[in-house]
Amino acid sequence: MLRFDRRVLNNFDWVTVLTLSLITIMSLANLFSATWNGGPSPSPLFFKQLYFFLFGYALILFILSVDYSELEMLSYVGYVAVCFLLIYTKLFVKVVAGSQRWIDLGFIKLQPSEPAKLFLVLVLASCYARFEAKEDGYGLLDLLRPAALTVVPFLLIVIQPDLGTALMLAFMFVSMTLFSRLRWPALTSLSITGLITVVLGWKYGLKPYQRRRIETFLNPESDPMNHGYQIKQSKIAVGSGEFFGKGFMEGTQGHLNFLPERHTDFAFAVWCEELGFVGSMFFLLCFFFLLLWGMNIALSARDKFGVYLAFGIVMLIFWQGLINLFMIMGMLPVVGIPLPFFSYGGSSLLTNLIAIGILMNIRMRRFQKR
Amino acid sequence: MRKINRRRTHGTEEDAARSGDDKTVISHINQGELDLYRRRAMYSSAVLIFFFATLAARLWYLQILQGDQYAKLAQNNRVRTVDIAAPRGNILDRKGREIVTNKPSFNVVWVREKNRIDEELIKKVAAILAVDPSDLLARIRKMAGTPGHIPIRLAENIEWDKVAYIENNRMDMPGIKIEVVPQRVYHYGNLASHMIGYLAEISKEDLTDAETDSYRPGDMTGKMGLERLREKDLRGEKGREYMEVNSLGFEQRNLKGLEPLPGSDIQLTLDVDLQQAAEKIMMDENKSGAVVAVEVNTGRLLLVASSPVLDLSKFLGGISSKNWKEMLDNPHHPLINKTVQGQYPPASTYKIVTALAGLAEGIITPDSTVYCPGSYRFGNRSYRCWKYKGGHGTVNLKRALSESCDVYFYHLGQRLGVNRLANYASHLGLGKKTGVEIEHEKSGLIPTSEWKLKRYGKPWQDGETLSVAIGQGFNLVTPLQLAMMTAAVANGGRLYKPSIIETVRDPDGHIVERFQATELDHFTGQERALNLLKEGLIEAVNGRRGTSTKARLNSITVAGKTGTAQVVRIKQYKHLKEENIPYKYRDHAWFTCFAPAENPEIAVTVLVEHGLHGGSAAAPIAKAVLEKYFADRLPKPEDAGALPVVPVGGD
Repeated sequence: MLRFDRRVLNNFDWVTVLTLSLITIMSLANLFSATWNGGPSPSPLFFKQLYFFLFGYALILFILSVDYSELEMLSYVGYVAVCFLLIYTKLFVKVVAGSQRWIDLGFIKLQPSEPAKLFLVLVLASCYARFEAKEDGYGLLDLLRPAALTVVPFLLIVIQPDLGTALMLAFMFVSMTLFSRLRWPALTSLSITGLITVVLGWKYGLKPYQRRRIETFLNPESDPMNHGYQIKQSKIAVGSGEFFGKGFMEGTQGHLNFLPERHTDFAFAVWCEELGFVGSMFFLLCFFFLLLWGMNIALSARDKFGVYLAFGIVMLIFWQGLINLFMIMGMLPVVGIPLPFFSYGGSSLLTNLIAIGILMNIRMRRFQKR
Repeated sequence: MRKINRRRTHGTEEDAARSGDDKTVISHINQGELDLYRRRAMYSSAVLIFFFATLAARLWYLQILQGDQYAKLAQNNRVRTVDIAAPRGNILDRKGREIVTNKPSFNVVWVREKNRIDEELIKKVAAILAVDPSDLLARIRKMAGTPGHIPIRLAENIEWDKVAYIENNRMDMPGIKIEVVPQRVYHYGNLASHMIGYLAEISKEDLTDAETDSYRPGDMTGKMGLERLREKDLRGEKGREYMEVNSLGFEQRNLKGLEPLPGSDIQLTLDVDLQQAAEKIMMDENKSGAVVAVEVNTGRLLLVASSPVLDLSKFLGGISSKNWKEMLDNPHHPLINKTVQGQYPPASTYKIVTALAGLAEGIITPDSTVYCPGSYRFGNRSYRCWKYKGGHGTVNLKRALSESCDVYFYHLGQRLGVNRLANYASHLGLGKKTGVEIEHEKSGLIPTSEWKLKRYGKPWQDGETLSVAIGQGFNLVTPLQLAMMTAAVANGGRLYKPSIIETVRDPDGHIVERFQATELDHFTGQERALNLLKEGLIEAVNGRRGTSTKARLNSITVAGKTGTAQVVRIKQYKHLKEENIPYKYRDHAWFTCFAPAENPEIAVTVLVEHGLHGGSAAAPIAKAVLEKYFADRLPKPEDAGALPVVPVGGD
């Protein structure tokens, strides 16, 4: 089934594989600790995530076997499919904890907003790659198509409501647009529109609970038991790790249940608590090394599609990671953005692993002429 | 102008892309673009590194500079969240009498810190509770797999003096706490236990189900009956207490918490008096079977008794395998709710359907007669009337019903055919589930020729129609179906959906659900036929030669029909005296009736498993229920408290 050109295999991206494996080991070890409930065997959640990892690695292998340019047409199909899934979710899925995000497929609860991020990157990359700009760059009108492609899933996710993920889409659009050559008037008008949107959104667009989260963040004492509480506990977890940490499986914040969502959004806080500054820095190094390496892949790509795609994937993982880490370290309000590869959750993990697969694909085929 | 141009060229490129020869469109990167991307990538990498540095600095600040402080906070940080169980909703009868409520139960719990077992502490607690320390250790071990912040229950429902002792000496016993948990109280014992059901600790499988995320190990949840079906209404919402405790586990102060929200109260349509009367008489006479009473004009169930009742005390704290096996092997089948789960041949009660079909189809008139010599010859077989010695002579419809003449209905069934008969049975609700809110309802069976061909691959035999016409053969009904049918006959042809829930009332007293009569079927234009039928049924109870005279009341006219359902047709028992036939081969006894006949209010159906004869075994039970129901309207009996004692057997 899997057929590889030998030249392609010779260019196999060992750097990414190695870094990803390190991150995987840290992630699983951390999940083992975070979900351990005192029993003799690890929690079922641990095994579930383990299987997702294995499945994801298999998917990577599969993705590597096709040239990434084949993915381009497929990406539009996927994009449309994901949009329909988002509509389906809104119409037919019952509300869980105030929003409609998951489609139950039996073996996995699919969260279509996760693959939506990746498909947006794919279609935007295709868009910008095909776009011939004049020497002075794109004008505002040229941006209509990519903007439209972003707005559809953006709105569908906003109404779920899942503001955090929707903002991720906006970030992807902005980063990839800035990466292309933009004319100054376009840039300025874009920034002004963005600012106005933020102000209006804050005033009229946010649900009360969303506004409260941000207010709580700005003034944590106003709501000690809820969102301020979560951030406070997370900071205590991170800080009390000190230099060497409390030791694997020894974190009190996590194991005494003070830390909220300790295997999903706040998973990294458990890591910081148990492995301290040393362990946390090691993870950060791996994570950012992967990102910088991805940037390098973008530069070595053989065509424009590859460049934009690789860059988009780096940004996808970067923004998710940054927002989650900022939240854990008490520098942002609570937003439901998982840390890529680290937070428990099948949809997010598979999406990010597929993204890495595409990145490796671009790297492997950098010399191949078509 | 320039813009338009550009868009046009752009458009053609896009078209080229769509038409397939797109490979040339994505160009390789020329030097100018590569420089551009280099620049952009450099800026981006700089941004990445900047944020990396920010995060590293933040980690340094939190973990190294402020580390001591946060470590101290973590040390003192012991805000423990404790769930407070919500009182479960009460279950009341139609008059508001409490059937199931809650009382506080005091439990001793141990809150683990770090999973370490303090042997001294356990010994101390065991001494207070007067139990063996190894019992407590066993309980702790059983809870080993649960998250540490969930308290382990060491003893349930302890006496008040022990509660006081533990509360006074809590300083010596860190982590030991008294927990107050609502516990179910059954004011009428096992009343309607099949229908109401019971609670049990939530199982590990249910806990791993993501839908039940508000449950914790040790929580009670409905396992059967209404307690299970209406779990969502009854359970309420847990409260939460935020307890600040120091590192030894002592409570420092109670932060603002969340009050539990009690569950909704469920008022049943059931009448405790009737239910009790029926269950008592069935138990006193050691009968197993079912008694159902329904309000004929609404479908409210007043009584749903299955005998023997389920002994709920055996289910508390999990049923032992010995008890379970005992119940499974019991010939009286206590685990089966016979009102909806038991399927029996309707026997002669089905003659109501046959008669109605005959009248409605114009095959008979009240004056049509049949001569009954005691048997009916069909093909080369002789079909017996129950009174095969001498027979009934010339009978019309009224006599045929009141004396339950089989030969009359053989004739009629023969002319109707099985499918026409099935059509009427189906309009009267037989052969399909009623949709009542009781678990494990069975649909029964009303055969048609098509059904037989599909099920057995054989065509229908005319001889089988004869058996079906008198309610034997393939026919199967549940007592509830028969009660609803009787109600439909009584109320002029309206088949109601049976219901057991009158109202559901939330803790604020708002009614969130209210009983509404639901018509499943309406039999129109048959008032005359139904009236003729009623006359026959009145005669059966009140006539000189009626089969159901044991259900007769003093001042209220009862209309009813008996039935005796053959269990097996075995020659060797034919000549035995009835009391010598082994229990499990004896016939089932039916009686179904309504009253007052002139203006019906209530329909009662009784089935006595292996009770031999409807007239002698089942009718007196229906009479007892009717007496209770009409207590204010009947002349006072000498001894108001005692139920009439009815002789068993004999006819």
